[in-house]
Amino acid sequence: MATARHDTSPFAAIVQTPLGVQALTLLGLVVVWECIGRTGLLFPDLFPSITEILQSLWTYLTTPVLIPHIKASLYEVGGAIALAALFGVPLGILWGSKQSWLEIVEPLILYAAVVPKIVIFPVFILFLGIDVHSKLAVGAIAAFFPVSLLTIAGMREVKKVYVDVARTIGATPMQIAKNVYLPAIAGQVFTGIRIGLGAAVTGALLAETKIAKAGLGFMIVEYYGQFRIADMYALLLFIFILAAIANWAMKSLFGALSPVSRRSGDAGMYF
Amino acid sequence: MSESTRLAAWRLGWIFGALLIVETSVRAGWISSFFLAAPTRAVIVLWQQLVHGNALVLTGITLFEIAACLAIATVFGILAGFFLWRYKLIGTSYETLLAALFSSPVILAYPIFLVTFGRTSAAVIALSSIFGLIPIVINTKSAFQNVNPILLQVGASMNLTRKQLFRHILIPAVAPTIFSGFRLALTYILKSVLGLEYVAQVGGVGMWLSDAAFKFEVEEVYAGLFGTITLSILFLYLINRCERWFRR
Repeated sequence: MATARHDTSPFAAIVQTPLGVQALTLLGLVVVWECIGRTGLLFPDLFPSITEILQSLWTYLTTPVLIPHIKASLYEVGGAIALAALFGVPLGILWGSKQSWLEIVEPLILYAAVVPKIVIFPVFILFLGIDVHSKLAVGAIAAFFPVSLLTIAGMREVKKVYVDVARTIGATPMQIAKNVYLPAIAGQVFTGIRIGLGAAVTGALLAETKIAKAGLGFMIVEYYGQFRIADMYALLLFIFILAAIANWAMKSLFGALSPVSRRSGDAGMYF
Repeated sequence: MSESTRLAAWRLGWIFGALLIVETSVRAGWISSFFLAAPTRAVIVLWQQLVHGNALVLTGITLFEIAACLAIATVFGILAGFFLWRYKLIGTSYETLLAALFSSPVILAYPIFLVTFGRTSAAVIALSSIFGLIPIVINTKSAFQNVNPILLQVGASMNLTRKQLFRHILIPAVAPTIFSGFRLALTYILKSVLGLEYVAQVGGVGMWLSDAAFKFEVEEVYAGLFGTITLSILFLYLINRCERWFRR
Protein backbone atom coordinates (compact mmCIF):
# COMPACT_ATOMS: atom_id res chain seq x y z
CA MET A 1 0.00 0.00 0.00
CA ALA A 2 1.38 3.33 -1.02
CA THR A 3 1.53 5.92 1.74
CA ALA A 4 2.00 9.63 1.20
CA ARG A 5 5.26 10.93 2.66
CA HIS A 6 5.02 14.21 4.49
CA ASP A 7 8.16 16.23 5.24
CA THR A 8 7.58 17.30 8.81
CA SER A 9 10.94 18.95 9.52
CA PRO A 10 10.67 22.36 11.27
CA PHE A 11 12.14 24.11 8.20
CA ALA A 12 9.52 22.59 5.90
CA ALA A 13 6.78 23.54 8.36
CA ILE A 14 7.95 27.17 8.33
CA VAL A 15 8.32 27.26 4.54
CA GLN A 16 4.79 25.96 4.13
CA THR A 17 3.29 29.07 5.76
CA PRO A 18 2.50 32.35 3.95
CA LEU A 19 5.14 34.13 6.04
CA GLY A 20 7.71 31.50 5.07
CA VAL A 21 6.91 31.85 1.36
CA GLN A 22 7.10 35.64 1.63
CA ALA A 23 10.46 35.48 3.43
CA LEU A 24 11.81 32.97 0.91
CA THR A 25 10.66 35.11 -2.02
CA LEU A 26 12.28 38.24 -0.62
CA LEU A 27 15.44 36.30 0.20
CA GLY A 28 15.50 34.85 -3.32
CA LEU A 29 15.11 38.31 -4.81
CA VAL A 30 17.97 39.66 -2.69
CA VAL A 31 20.25 36.75 -3.65
CA VAL A 32 19.46 37.06 -7.37
CA TRP A 33 19.92 40.84 -7.25
CA GLU A 34 23.24 40.49 -5.40
CA CYS A 35 24.50 37.91 -7.94
CA ILE A 36 23.54 40.17 -10.85
CA GLY A 37 25.08 43.19 -9.08
CA ARG A 38 28.37 41.47 -8.32
CA THR A 39 28.80 39.69 -11.65
CA GLY A 40 27.46 42.53 -13.82
CA LEU A 41 25.49 39.97 -15.85
CA LEU A 42 22.54 42.20 -16.59
CA PHE A 43 22.47 46.01 -16.94
CA PRO A 44 25.68 46.49 -14.92
CA ASP A 45 24.89 50.18 -14.23
CA LEU A 46 21.33 49.49 -13.18
CA PHE A 47 21.85 46.76 -10.60
CA PRO A 48 24.38 47.86 -7.99
CA SER A 49 25.03 45.20 -5.36
CA ILE A 50 22.75 45.08 -2.33
CA THR A 51 25.71 45.78 -0.03
CA GLU A 52 26.38 49.00 -1.92
CA ILE A 53 22.73 50.04 -1.54
CA LEU A 54 22.74 49.16 2.17
CA GLN A 55 25.93 51.18 2.67
CA SER A 56 24.19 54.22 1.17
CA LEU A 57 21.14 53.58 3.34
CA TRP A 58 23.39 53.37 6.41
CA THR A 59 24.92 56.74 5.47
CA TYR A 60 21.44 58.27 5.30
CA LEU A 61 20.55 56.86 8.70
CA THR A 62 23.75 57.84 10.49
CA THR A 63 24.66 61.20 8.95
CA PRO A 64 22.66 64.43 8.67
CA VAL A 65 22.96 64.44 4.87
CA LEU A 66 19.20 64.06 4.31
CA ILE A 67 17.92 66.12 7.25
CA PRO A 68 17.05 69.31 5.26
CA HIS A 69 15.33 67.23 2.62
CA ILE A 70 13.38 65.17 5.17
CA LYS A 71 12.30 68.43 6.82
CA ALA A 72 11.10 69.87 3.50
CA SER A 73 9.18 66.72 2.59
CA LEU A 74 7.70 66.36 6.08
CA TYR A 75 6.53 69.97 5.96
CA GLU A 76 4.86 69.39 2.60
CA VAL A 77 3.24 66.08 3.49
CA GLY A 78 2.22 67.22 7.02
CA GLY A 79 0.76 70.46 5.67
CA ALA A 80 -0.97 68.61 2.85
CA ILE A 81 -2.73 66.10 5.09
CA ALA A 82 -3.67 68.83 7.59
CA LEU A 83 -5.22 70.95 4.82
CA ALA A 84 -6.96 67.93 3.29
CA ALA A 85 -8.48 67.02 6.67
CA LEU A 86 -9.38 70.64 7.42
CA PHE A 87 -11.40 70.97 4.21
CA GLY A 88 -12.22 67.36 3.36
CA VAL A 89 -13.89 66.36 6.63
CA PRO A 90 -16.25 69.37 7.05
CA LEU A 91 -17.13 69.37 3.34
CA GLY A 92 -17.71 65.61 3.44
CA ILE A 93 -20.02 66.07 6.45
CA LEU A 94 -21.83 68.95 4.73
CA TRP A 95 -22.31 67.12 1.43
CA GLY A 96 -23.19 63.86 3.12
CA SER A 97 -25.74 65.42 5.44
CA LYS A 98 -28.35 66.03 2.70
CA GLN A 99 -29.29 63.48 0.08
CA SER A 100 -30.09 66.17 -2.52
CA TRP A 101 -26.63 67.80 -2.16
CA LEU A 102 -24.97 64.41 -2.25
CA GLU A 103 -26.69 63.46 -5.50
CA ILE A 104 -25.39 66.63 -7.16
CA VAL A 105 -21.89 66.72 -5.69
CA GLU A 106 -20.81 63.09 -5.43
CA PRO A 107 -20.52 62.32 -9.19
CA LEU A 108 -18.54 65.54 -9.65
CA ILE A 109 -16.08 64.50 -6.92
CA LEU A 110 -15.82 60.97 -8.28
CA TYR A 111 -14.99 62.27 -11.75
CA ALA A 112 -12.53 64.87 -10.39
CA ALA A 113 -10.88 62.17 -8.26
CA VAL A 114 -9.78 60.27 -11.37
CA VAL A 115 -7.80 63.21 -12.78
CA PRO A 116 -4.09 62.76 -11.95
CA LYS A 117 -3.42 65.52 -9.44
CA ILE A 118 0.18 66.01 -10.52
CA VAL A 119 -1.03 67.66 -13.75
CA ILE A 120 -2.37 70.59 -11.68
CA PHE A 121 1.18 71.23 -10.48
CA PRO A 122 1.99 73.85 -13.20
CA VAL A 123 -0.98 75.91 -11.99
CA PHE A 124 0.32 75.78 -8.42
CA ILE A 125 3.77 76.78 -9.65
CA LEU A 126 2.23 79.84 -11.32
CA PHE A 127 0.43 80.84 -8.11
CA LEU A 128 2.81 79.64 -5.38
CA GLY A 129 6.24 79.42 -7.04
CA ILE A 130 8.65 76.50 -6.99
CA ASP A 131 9.10 76.52 -3.22
CA VAL A 132 7.60 73.95 -0.85
CA HIS A 133 4.09 75.44 -0.98
CA SER A 134 3.32 74.32 -4.53
CA LYS A 135 4.21 70.74 -3.56
CA LEU A 136 2.15 71.04 -0.39
CA ALA A 137 -0.79 72.11 -2.53
CA VAL A 138 -0.45 69.10 -4.87
CA GLY A 139 -0.30 66.79 -1.84
CA ALA A 140 -3.35 68.49 -0.30
CA ILE A 141 -5.43 68.14 -3.47
CA ALA A 142 -4.36 64.49 -3.79
CA ALA A 143 -5.32 63.77 -0.17
CA PHE A 144 -8.56 65.78 -0.27
CA PHE A 145 -10.42 63.21 -2.38
CA PRO A 146 -9.98 60.09 -0.22
CA VAL A 147 -10.65 62.15 2.92
CA SER A 148 -13.85 63.77 1.63
CA LEU A 149 -15.14 60.64 -0.14
CA LEU A 150 -14.67 58.44 2.91
CA THR A 151 -16.26 61.08 5.13
CA ILE A 152 -19.25 61.03 2.77
CA ALA A 153 -19.24 57.22 2.96
CA GLY A 154 -19.23 57.50 6.76
CA MET A 155 -22.14 59.95 6.70
CA ARG A 156 -24.10 57.58 4.50
CA GLU A 157 -23.72 54.85 7.12
CA VAL A 158 -25.14 56.96 9.96
CA LYS A 159 -28.52 55.48 10.79
CA LYS A 160 -31.36 58.00 10.52
CA VAL A 161 -32.93 56.60 13.68
CA TYR A 162 -29.95 57.83 15.78
CA VAL A 163 -30.42 61.38 14.47
CA ASP A 164 -34.19 61.17 15.01
CA VAL A 165 -33.71 59.99 18.59
CA ALA A 166 -31.25 62.85 19.26
CA ARG A 167 -33.74 65.36 17.82
CA THR A 168 -36.58 63.87 19.89
CA ILE A 169 -34.67 64.40 23.10
CA GLY A 170 -34.03 68.02 22.06
CA ALA A 171 -30.38 67.91 20.97
CA THR A 172 -29.10 71.01 19.12
CA PRO A 173 -27.53 70.62 15.63
CA MET A 174 -24.08 71.05 17.21
CA GLN A 175 -24.81 68.37 19.80
CA ILE A 176 -26.08 66.04 17.07
CA ALA A 177 -22.91 66.66 15.06
CA LYS A 178 -20.66 66.08 18.09
CA ASN A 179 -22.47 63.19 19.75
CA VAL A 180 -24.08 61.34 16.83
CA TYR A 181 -22.31 62.06 13.56
CA LEU A 182 -18.68 62.34 14.70
CA PRO A 183 -18.49 59.04 16.65
CA ALA A 184 -20.39 57.25 13.86
CA ILE A 185 -18.14 58.46 11.04
CA ALA A 186 -14.83 58.42 12.96
CA GLY A 187 -13.74 55.06 11.53
CA GLN A 188 -14.28 56.13 7.92
CA VAL A 189 -12.69 59.56 8.50
CA PHE A 190 -9.58 57.97 10.01
CA THR A 191 -9.35 55.53 7.10
CA GLY A 192 -9.71 58.48 4.72
CA ILE A 193 -6.92 60.36 6.45
CA ARG A 194 -4.67 57.28 6.37
CA ILE A 195 -5.29 56.72 2.66
CA GLY A 196 -4.96 60.47 2.13
CA LEU A 197 -1.54 60.35 3.74
CA GLY A 198 -0.38 57.87 1.09
CA ALA A 199 -1.81 60.09 -1.63
CA ALA A 200 -0.15 63.17 -0.11
CA VAL A 201 3.25 61.43 0.05
CA THR A 202 2.99 60.34 -3.59
CA GLY A 203 1.67 63.72 -4.78
CA ALA A 204 4.16 65.91 -2.93
CA LEU A 205 7.23 63.75 -3.61
CA LEU A 206 6.34 63.26 -7.28
CA ALA A 207 5.99 67.03 -7.62
CA GLU A 208 9.42 67.39 -5.99
CA THR A 209 10.91 65.20 -8.70
CA LYS A 210 9.58 67.66 -11.30
CA ILE A 211 10.90 70.91 -9.89
CA ALA A 212 12.09 71.71 -6.37
CA LYS A 213 14.91 73.12 -4.29
CA ALA A 214 14.81 70.48 -1.56
CA GLY A 215 13.00 67.31 -0.54
CA LEU A 216 13.35 63.55 -0.82
CA GLY A 217 11.76 63.47 -4.28
CA PHE A 218 14.14 66.19 -5.40
CA MET A 219 17.09 64.09 -4.16
CA ILE A 220 15.88 61.03 -6.15
CA VAL A 221 16.12 63.04 -9.35
CA GLU A 222 19.44 64.60 -8.27
CA TYR A 223 20.94 61.13 -7.81
CA TYR A 224 19.40 59.99 -11.10
CA GLY A 225 20.91 63.03 -12.85
CA GLN A 226 24.35 62.26 -11.37
CA PHE A 227 23.85 58.56 -12.17
CA ARG A 228 24.37 57.59 -8.52
CA ILE A 229 22.08 54.59 -8.91
CA ALA A 230 22.96 52.87 -5.62
CA ASP A 231 22.21 56.11 -3.74
CA MET A 232 18.94 56.43 -5.64
CA TYR A 233 17.86 52.88 -4.73
CA ALA A 234 18.83 53.46 -1.11
CA LEU A 235 16.77 56.65 -1.01
CA LEU A 236 13.76 54.90 -2.58
CA LEU A 237 14.08 52.15 0.01
CA PHE A 238 14.31 54.80 2.74
CA ILE A 239 11.12 56.48 1.46
CA PHE A 240 9.24 53.15 1.22
CA ILE A 241 10.25 52.29 4.79
CA LEU A 242 9.20 55.74 6.05
CA ALA A 243 5.86 55.49 4.22
CA ALA A 244 5.23 52.00 5.62
CA ILE A 245 6.06 53.15 9.17
CA ALA A 246 3.78 56.20 8.84
CA ASN A 247 0.97 54.00 7.50
CA TRP A 248 1.40 51.46 10.29
CA ALA A 249 1.57 54.20 12.96
CA MET A 250 -1.62 55.83 11.69
CA LYS A 251 -3.38 52.49 11.48
CA SER A 252 -2.45 51.65 15.07
CA LEU A 253 -3.30 55.12 16.36
CA PHE A 254 -6.63 55.32 14.61
CA GLY A 255 -7.40 51.71 15.51
CA ALA A 256 -6.95 52.65 19.16
CA LEU A 257 -8.93 55.90 18.84
CA SER A 258 -11.79 54.70 16.69
CA PRO A 259 -14.61 52.77 18.32
CA VAL A 260 -15.29 50.86 15.11
CA SER A 261 -12.60 50.92 12.44
CA ARG A 262 -14.31 50.56 9.12
CA ARG A 263 -12.75 50.12 5.73
CA SER A 264 -14.12 51.01 2.36
CA GLY A 265 -13.58 48.30 -0.20
CA ASP A 266 -13.55 50.60 -3.21
CA ALA A 267 -11.61 53.46 -1.64
CA GLY A 268 -8.43 52.45 -3.40
CA MET A 269 -9.36 53.97 -6.73
CA TYR A 270 -9.30 57.54 -5.48
CA PHE A 271 -5.63 57.98 -4.70
CA MET B 1 -38.12 66.92 -16.37
CA SER B 2 -36.84 63.59 -15.05
CA GLU B 3 -34.87 63.41 -11.80
CA SER B 4 -31.60 62.49 -13.53
CA THR B 5 -31.95 65.38 -16.02
CA ARG B 6 -32.61 67.78 -13.16
CA LEU B 7 -29.50 66.57 -11.31
CA ALA B 8 -27.38 66.78 -14.47
CA ALA B 9 -28.66 70.34 -15.03
CA TRP B 10 -27.68 71.26 -11.47
CA ARG B 11 -24.20 69.80 -11.93
CA LEU B 12 -23.67 71.59 -15.23
CA GLY B 13 -24.98 74.77 -13.61
CA TRP B 14 -22.34 74.47 -10.87
CA ILE B 15 -19.53 73.82 -13.36
CA PHE B 16 -20.50 76.63 -15.72
CA GLY B 17 -21.12 78.96 -12.77
CA ALA B 18 -17.58 78.35 -11.50
CA LEU B 19 -16.13 78.82 -14.99
CA LEU B 20 -18.12 82.05 -15.40
CA ILE B 21 -16.68 83.40 -12.16
CA VAL B 22 -13.13 82.58 -13.38
CA GLU B 23 -13.84 84.11 -16.81
CA THR B 24 -15.20 87.33 -15.28
CA SER B 25 -12.32 87.54 -12.77
CA VAL B 26 -9.67 87.27 -15.50
CA ARG B 27 -11.43 89.56 -17.99
CA ALA B 28 -12.07 92.21 -15.32
CA GLY B 29 -8.42 92.01 -14.29
CA TRP B 30 -9.20 90.88 -10.71
CA ILE B 31 -6.87 87.96 -11.31
CA SER B 32 -3.81 88.55 -13.49
CA SER B 33 -3.84 86.65 -16.79
CA PHE B 34 -0.23 85.84 -15.98
CA PHE B 35 -1.54 83.29 -13.45
CA LEU B 36 -4.89 82.28 -14.83
CA ALA B 37 -6.18 82.01 -18.38
CA ALA B 38 -9.81 82.77 -19.16
CA PRO B 39 -11.59 79.43 -19.75
CA THR B 40 -12.78 80.57 -23.20
CA ARG B 41 -9.15 81.34 -24.19
CA ALA B 42 -8.04 77.91 -22.94
CA VAL B 43 -10.76 76.22 -25.01
CA ILE B 44 -9.79 78.26 -28.10
CA VAL B 45 -6.10 77.37 -27.68
CA LEU B 46 -7.02 73.70 -27.20
CA TRP B 47 -9.12 73.78 -30.37
CA GLN B 48 -6.27 75.47 -32.30
CA GLN B 49 -3.86 72.81 -31.05
CA LEU B 50 -6.27 70.07 -32.10
CA VAL B 51 -6.80 71.51 -35.57
CA HIS B 52 -3.45 73.08 -36.43
CA GLY B 53 -1.05 71.81 -33.76
CA ASN B 54 -0.06 68.30 -32.77
CA ALA B 55 -2.52 67.79 -29.90
CA LEU B 56 -4.28 64.99 -31.80
CA VAL B 57 -1.01 63.13 -32.37
CA LEU B 58 -0.11 63.54 -28.68
CA THR B 59 -3.56 62.29 -27.65
CA GLY B 60 -3.00 59.32 -29.94
CA ILE B 61 0.33 58.57 -28.22
CA THR B 62 -1.32 58.74 -24.78
CA LEU B 63 -4.16 56.47 -25.92
CA PHE B 64 -1.66 54.02 -27.39
CA GLU B 65 0.26 53.93 -24.09
CA ILE B 66 -2.96 53.36 -22.13
CA ALA B 67 -4.04 50.57 -24.51
CA ALA B 68 -0.62 48.88 -24.32
CA CYS B 69 -0.62 49.02 -20.50
CA LEU B 70 -4.13 47.65 -20.38
CA ALA B 71 -3.28 44.78 -22.72
CA ILE B 72 -0.17 43.84 -20.71
CA ALA B 73 -1.96 44.18 -17.37
CA THR B 74 -4.97 42.16 -18.54
CA VAL B 75 -3.03 39.24 -20.06
CA PHE B 76 -0.48 38.89 -17.27
CA GLY B 77 -2.91 39.89 -14.53
CA ILE B 78 -5.51 37.25 -15.37
CA LEU B 79 -2.86 34.55 -15.80
CA ALA B 80 -1.15 35.49 -12.52
CA GLY B 81 -4.47 35.77 -10.68
CA PHE B 82 -5.53 32.33 -11.92
CA PHE B 83 -2.15 30.88 -10.87
CA LEU B 84 -2.42 32.44 -7.41
CA TRP B 85 -5.90 30.95 -7.02
CA ARG B 86 -4.77 27.48 -8.13
CA TYR B 87 -1.82 27.40 -5.70
CA LYS B 88 -3.40 28.49 -2.44
CA LEU B 89 -0.25 28.93 -0.33
CA ILE B 90 1.53 30.99 -2.96
CA GLY B 91 -1.68 32.93 -3.55
CA THR B 92 -2.15 33.87 0.10
CA SER B 93 1.53 34.77 0.47
CA TYR B 94 1.84 36.87 -2.68
CA GLU B 95 -1.45 38.68 -2.27
CA THR B 96 -0.04 40.39 0.83
CA LEU B 97 3.19 41.26 -0.98
CA LEU B 98 1.24 42.66 -3.93
CA ALA B 99 -0.98 44.74 -1.64
CA ALA B 100 2.13 46.10 0.12
CA LEU B 101 3.72 46.95 -3.23
CA PHE B 102 0.53 48.63 -4.36
CA SER B 103 0.24 50.85 -1.29
CA SER B 104 3.86 52.02 -1.47
CA PRO B 105 4.77 55.05 -3.59
CA VAL B 106 6.23 52.91 -6.40
CA ILE B 107 5.70 55.68 -8.95
CA LEU B 108 8.68 57.50 -7.41
CA ALA B 109 10.88 54.76 -8.87
CA TYR B 110 10.22 56.10 -12.38
CA PRO B 111 13.88 57.17 -12.89
CA ILE B 112 14.83 53.45 -12.79
CA PHE B 113 12.45 52.85 -15.71
CA LEU B 114 13.90 55.84 -17.54
CA VAL B 115 17.40 54.36 -17.13
CA THR B 116 16.22 50.92 -18.30
CA PHE B 117 13.97 51.89 -21.21
CA GLY B 118 15.30 55.34 -22.03
CA ARG B 119 13.19 58.51 -22.20
CA THR B 120 10.54 56.84 -24.33
CA SER B 121 6.93 55.70 -24.12
CA ALA B 122 8.26 52.23 -23.22
CA ALA B 123 9.27 53.52 -19.77
CA VAL B 124 5.78 54.95 -19.22
CA ILE B 125 4.15 51.72 -20.42
CA ALA B 126 6.40 49.48 -18.28
CA LEU B 127 5.75 51.33 -15.02
CA SER B 128 2.07 52.06 -15.62
CA SER B 129 1.41 48.40 -16.47
CA ILE B 130 2.41 47.50 -12.91
CA PHE B 131 -0.33 49.79 -11.57
CA GLY B 132 -2.86 48.07 -13.79
CA LEU B 133 -1.56 44.57 -13.18
CA ILE B 134 -2.00 44.44 -9.40
CA PRO B 135 -5.78 45.15 -9.19
CA ILE B 136 -6.40 42.65 -12.00
CA VAL B 137 -4.32 39.95 -10.25
CA ILE B 138 -6.04 40.51 -6.92
CA ASN B 139 -9.54 40.68 -8.40
CA THR B 140 -9.00 37.60 -10.59
CA LYS B 141 -7.80 35.58 -7.61
CA SER B 142 -10.68 36.76 -5.47
CA ALA B 143 -13.16 36.10 -8.31
CA PHE B 144 -12.14 32.45 -8.64
CA GLN B 145 -11.95 32.07 -4.87
CA ASN B 146 -15.50 33.32 -4.38
CA VAL B 147 -17.23 31.18 -6.99
CA ASN B 148 -20.19 29.52 -5.30
CA PRO B 149 -19.19 25.82 -4.89
CA ILE B 150 -22.81 24.80 -5.45
CA LEU B 151 -22.49 25.98 -9.07
CA LEU B 152 -19.51 23.69 -9.55
CA GLN B 153 -21.30 20.78 -7.84
CA VAL B 154 -24.28 21.26 -10.13
CA GLY B 155 -21.93 21.24 -13.12
CA ALA B 156 -20.23 18.07 -11.88
CA SER B 157 -23.58 16.34 -11.25
CA MET B 158 -24.48 17.12 -14.87
CA ASN B 159 -21.30 15.31 -15.92
CA LEU B 160 -19.73 18.40 -17.47
CA THR B 161 -16.11 17.98 -18.54
CA ARG B 162 -13.42 20.20 -17.00
CA LYS B 163 -13.44 22.30 -20.16
CA GLN B 164 -17.23 22.69 -20.07
CA LEU B 165 -17.15 23.53 -16.36
CA PHE B 166 -14.57 26.20 -17.04
CA ARG B 167 -16.41 27.67 -20.02
CA HIS B 168 -20.02 27.50 -18.86
CA ILE B 169 -19.70 27.95 -15.10
CA LEU B 170 -16.39 29.41 -14.01
CA ILE B 171 -16.00 32.11 -16.66
CA PRO B 172 -19.50 33.61 -16.31
CA ALA B 173 -19.17 33.47 -12.51
CA VAL B 174 -15.82 35.26 -12.35
CA ALA B 175 -16.33 37.79 -15.16
CA PRO B 176 -18.06 40.58 -13.14
CA THR B 177 -15.37 40.64 -10.42
CA ILE B 178 -12.58 40.52 -12.98
CA PHE B 179 -14.28 43.40 -14.78
CA SER B 180 -14.23 45.43 -11.54
CA GLY B 181 -10.47 44.83 -11.40
CA PHE B 182 -10.22 45.84 -15.04
CA ARG B 183 -12.07 49.08 -14.26
CA LEU B 184 -9.78 49.86 -11.32
CA ALA B 185 -6.76 49.00 -13.49
CA LEU B 186 -7.85 51.38 -16.22
CA THR B 187 -8.27 54.18 -13.69
CA TYR B 188 -4.80 53.62 -12.26
CA ILE B 189 -3.21 53.27 -15.68
CA LEU B 190 -4.80 56.52 -16.84
CA LYS B 191 -3.53 58.40 -13.80
CA SER B 192 -0.09 56.85 -14.01
CA VAL B 193 0.35 57.40 -17.77
CA LEU B 194 -0.70 61.05 -17.68
CA GLY B 195 1.27 61.72 -14.50
CA LEU B 196 4.44 60.06 -15.77
CA GLU B 197 4.21 61.78 -19.14
CA TYR B 198 4.07 65.09 -17.32
CA VAL B 199 6.81 64.37 -14.79
CA ALA B 200 9.28 62.61 -17.10
CA GLN B 201 8.34 64.81 -20.07
CA VAL B 202 7.85 61.91 -22.47
CA GLY B 203 4.98 60.64 -24.59
CA GLY B 204 1.75 62.51 -25.30
CA VAL B 205 -0.66 64.88 -23.57
CA GLY B 206 1.28 65.01 -20.29
CA MET B 207 4.45 66.00 -22.13
CA TRP B 208 2.57 68.77 -23.94
CA LEU B 209 1.41 70.15 -20.59
CA SER B 210 4.95 69.95 -19.24
CA ASP B 211 6.38 71.74 -22.30
CA ALA B 212 3.81 74.51 -22.05
CA ALA B 213 4.58 75.00 -18.35
CA PHE B 214 8.30 75.05 -19.09
CA LYS B 215 7.79 77.83 -21.67
CA PHE B 216 5.42 79.71 -19.34
CA GLU B 217 2.70 79.65 -22.00
CA VAL B 218 -0.12 80.19 -19.51
CA GLU B 219 -3.00 79.76 -21.96
CA GLU B 220 -1.43 76.58 -23.32
CA VAL B 221 -0.94 75.24 -19.77
CA TYR B 222 -4.66 75.67 -19.07
CA ALA B 223 -5.55 74.28 -22.50
CA GLY B 224 -3.41 71.19 -21.76
CA LEU B 225 -4.93 70.89 -18.32
CA PHE B 226 -8.42 71.18 -19.79
CA GLY B 227 -7.55 68.50 -22.34
CA THR B 228 -6.11 66.19 -19.68
CA ILE B 229 -9.12 66.60 -17.41
CA THR B 230 -11.52 66.04 -20.31
CA LEU B 231 -9.66 62.90 -21.35
CA SER B 232 -9.73 61.52 -17.78
CA ILE B 233 -13.43 62.26 -17.34
CA LEU B 234 -14.28 60.80 -20.74
CA PHE B 235 -12.43 57.63 -19.84
CA LEU B 236 -14.24 57.22 -16.52
CA TYR B 237 -17.56 57.89 -18.23
CA LEU B 238 -16.85 55.22 -20.86
CA ILE B 239 -15.72 52.72 -18.22
CA ASN B 240 -18.91 53.33 -16.23
CA ARG B 241 -21.04 52.86 -19.36
CA CYS B 242 -19.16 49.66 -20.23
CA GLU B 243 -19.58 48.31 -16.72
CA ARG B 244 -23.31 49.04 -16.77
CA TRP B 245 -23.64 47.36 -20.16
CA PHE B 246 -21.49 44.43 -19.01
CA ARG B 247 -23.49 43.84 -15.83
CA ARG B 248 -26.85 43.83 -17.64
